[in-house]
Amino acid sequence: MSNKKGPSEHRGNGFKLLALLAPLLLVGSPALAHRVNIFAWVEGDTVYTESYFSGGKKVRNGLVEVFDLAGKKLLQGRTNEKGEFSFKFPQKSSLHIVLTASMGHRSEFTLRAEEPSEELAGSARQEAAATARAQTPALVDLEQIRAVVEETLDARLKPISRTLAEMQKPRGPSLTEIIGGLGYIFGIMGLIMYFRSRKKTEQGPSH
Amino acid sequence: MHISEGVLSAPVLLTGGALTVMGTAIGLKKLDYDRLPQVAVLSATFFVASLIHIPVGPSSVHLILNGLMGLFLGWIAFPVVLVALALQAVLFQFGGLTALGVNTLNMALPAVVCYYVLGALARGDNFNLSMLASFLAGAGAIFMSSLGMASALVFTGESFWPVAKLIVFAHIPVMILEGIIVAVCVQFLKKVRPEMLDAVYVK
Repeated sequence: MSNKKGPSEHRGNGFKLLALLAPLLLVGSPALAHRVNIFAWVEGDTVYTESYFSGGKKVRNGLVEVFDLAGKKLLQGRTNEKGEFSFKFPQKSSLHIVLTASMGHRSEFTLRAEEPSEELAGSARQEAAATARAQTPALVDLEQIRAVVEETLDARLKPISRTLAEMQKPRGPSLTEIIGGLGYIFGIMGLIMYFRSRKKTEQGPSH
Repeated sequence: MHISEGVLSAPVLLTGGALTVMGTAIGLKKLDYDRLPQVAVLSATFFVASLIHIPVGPSSVHLILNGLMGLFLGWIAFPVVLVALALQAVLFQFGGLTALGVNTLNMALPAVVCYYVLGALARGDNFNLSMLASFLAGAGAIFMSSLGMASALVFTGESFWPVAKLIVFAHIPVMILEGIIVAVCVQFLKKVRPEMLDAVYVK
């Protein structure tokens, strides 16, 4: 699996560094999180990603690797203090984004091709408009309108795509889910006891 | 303490799975079914303990309580942890089903070790020794779980080494906290319900 290959590790130095950093990690470490998630969205020709541990804590210095759908690694980087990492579109196709955070946490996100190709179509249209403009000077206004509309749409859609990413943010398990889990445990207990008691009565009380 | 799916290599996952199956079989064999409710309560405790986060300084930690389970359950910790972790994997995507074997092993095996090494002392009449043994069970179980998780990650790839080393450091606050909680729990139960401390094994 190519995605396991991290950057080459300097073990000797790493240990010394660890000894120095250990107190810091005790304070701010999300080591006890249950799950990690990464989300990605497109703005212009840039892909933005945000990474969270369950409960909403940001992933700092997590390794983000970007693959195409065939599994070829395109680029990699690390999340900043806010858990964000952004990059220019390396190629116009669907992307497979893998986050490897500390202590065995890992998450994946697939960015569908529709989103980047939308941008492509946009720029193609602009080019077409530009040629049209060159041919017929009367269309200058139309071209300007188009540019303004796109700008406005971009600005309007930004909060929406952010909200969408926000909505997918992981939260801790809800009370309902926890109580549901407890129900399962006692349900399993009840089932086992039921079958045990039936067996006992079938075999008679001597057993 | 949950390792996500897709992190560990197949041999590590398979070994963990096989050992967990063995442990679970031993646990089920030793279970005295008349005390099943008590086992279910401990399973529920374990299930909930790791979901409730307690703020410690700027960060937050959650309990695992495998040391407590170990003192009460011995080998039965295996099926108990397996059920609780399977539910967490299915309901909350914590860990995940392929990593279930390794995760169960990491949390249940230390419990079994605690039972054999510290169980008799914790149940004993000497108050100081009992306190010390239950504290050590609480803290030691987390320490062993950390080591287990670290070694699972180390076997997977060398680049995990520095990260694996950190796990033990990161869990130090939990070790202290659980040690205290287990010590208090055991003393409390010894006073209130001493029969709960008798192992739930078939006599």
